Amino acid sequence: MTDKLSMVVCEGTYDKAMMPLILGTTAASMGSEVNVFYTFFGTKLLKKGVKPKLPGLWRLMTGMMVGRMKKVGIPDYDGMMNQAMELGVNFYACSTTMGLMGIKEEDLRPGVKVLGAAAFLKMAQESNVSLFIG
Amino acid sequence: MDKNATLDAKGLMCPMPIVGLAKKAKEMKSGQVLELLADDVGAKEDVPAWCNRTGHQLIGTEEEGKILKFYIRIK
Repeated sequence: MTDKLSMVVCEGTYDKAMMPLILGTTAASMGSEVNVFYTFFGTKLLKKGVKPKLPGLWRLMTGMMVGRMKKVGIPDYDGMMNQAMELGVNFYACSTTMGLMGIKEEDLRPGVKVLGAAAFLKMAQESNVSLFIG
Repeated sequence: MDKNATLDAKGLMCPMPIVGLAKKAKEMKSGQVLELLADDVGAKEDVPAWCNRTGHQLIGTEEEGKILKFYIRIK
């Protein structure tokens, strides 16, 4: 049976944005099905053209961090997101957060699906690994 | 060691060598041998773990200074 990894992302900073993409692309490369559910401040990471920053004062260092990662072959957020989608990682936006934050379906990156908690929990319950990125 | 292709992942850090491996393995035929060159110390454990989960066979490893060489038979 195929391995299945589920992740929840609830914050929208660069570190919280990259972590599930690094783990997600790795798991997909290892043959896993990967489902990532974005809620609360994480949801805005699924909007088109978003450029997440490091948290707090670290945000000033974001460009340097992105540059250092590029040097060791890790693409920027947008490139990493494309890489993950190409590998078949599934991205889900929390329907409630979208309503609360006024995010419309057309604001989301193509390929992202909108989901409720019960549907995501069903996926998580059927997974052999579930991680919370917090 | 005899090989059919080489993937040079020197200078790349986790997870890029593994992502590259997965893509390269898809392009190759069953039974062919892929040589992977890497210098990310994480690769030492990552490549065997990747082989274990994907079913490709790690048939040899070599170390030349900081360069790690892995030989993988495609399933």
